[in-house]
Amino acid sequence: MPQFDSHFFSSLIFWEVLSFSILFWILYKYAWPPILETLETRERKIRESLDQAEQSRATAEQKLKEYETKLQLAAKEAESLMTEAKQKSQKLLDENQQRLRADSDRIKEEATQDIERERRKALEDIKSQTADLAILVAEKVIGRSLSNDDHRRFAQEALAEVAAHSKS
Amino acid sequence: MWIVVGVASLFLLKAGAAKSLVPSKLQSLAELLVEFIQGIIQDTMGASGMRYFPLIGALFLFILFCNLLGLIPGSYTVTSQIVATGVFAIGVYALSLVIGFQLHGAKFLGILVPPGTPGWLLPLMIPIELISQIARPISLAVRLFANMTAGHVILGVLFGLTIAGGLLIGWLPFSFTIVLYGLEVGIAFIQAYIFTVLTCVYIGDAIHLH
Repeated sequence: MPQFDSHFFSSLIFWEVLSFSILFWILYKYAWPPILETLETRERKIRESLDQAEQSRATAEQKLKEYETKLQLAAKEAESLMTEAKQKSQKLLDENQQRLRADSDRIKEEATQDIERERRKALEDIKSQTADLAILVAEKVIGRSLSNDDHRRFAQEALAEVAAHSKS
Repeated sequence: MWIVVGVASLFLLKAGAAKSLVPSKLQSLAELLVEFIQGIIQDTMGASGMRYFPLIGALFLFILFCNLLGLIPGSYTVTSQIVATGVFAIGVYALSLVIGFQLHGAKFLGILVPPGTPGWLLPLMIPIELISQIARPISLAVRLFANMTAGHVILGVLFGLTIAGGLLIGWLPFSFTIVLYGLEVGIAFIQAYIFTVLTCVYIGDAIHLH
């Protein structure tokens, strides 16, 4: 068997050691470092990415919570604002109604008074104008205006009448 | 052997040159290989064994490519030479001894005494352990050599039968060779793996000392 032929043992050992040394050297110097580096880089990248993702997720969750609280707060505020506004408007409405009622009452009162005053004035005007008119008509009916003698006579007759009234 | 060195270095150099974060097929293969070897080291030696990664990796690749290239008809399998495997085995074993004495000094001789051995058993235990230690490189060398040689012998016999049988019966041993070739590829991987694992175990023993 050639396996046990010691004839070429030494050369085989020599070449084996030499070639293994060369392979070892090449791999040690040129092949392993870039591969190991790549592996490490990838591992680091993956870990970093995972970390980052975890961080992002945590941040997102926190933000979501924040927003939810904010939203709730906002909803509450809006509700309170609504109630307040409703109350205010109700109050304003009530006030306005009262004021309007008071105003209308006052205006009505004043109008009534004005009407009463005007009516009275008109009545008085009518009275005086009627008297004037009566005198004018009497004058027209009697004809010309009375002469002095007539005046005197009327006066005397009136006096007599008064005297007669006073006597009786 | 030059072919082995050339192919192995070319493969890893080309794979390592890419350096891209999303690996190509070749790069993935090389990285798979590297991680596989790292896994072996991690399992047997722990994290402190990573220092020896370049050596173990080169050893694994050298043996693997020797085994695989030997399967190409017409080529020669270096690892089917007892001298070749012997050199590796003795070299590895010597390395483990050197590392052991370097790390632990004279205490490294304690590797001959299993922990918990009572004093009166020492005269018996030390020779036994000594034999087991000496058996290590021998078994390492013989295992690889025998596996490789046996595979080739069987293949040779079957091919001989094929030729001798002629067309009439020759197809039977020939079909066996096809099956055996598949088996041989597996054995090539497995033997390289075993050799590497045992190397790691021996060096790991030297580092950790029980």
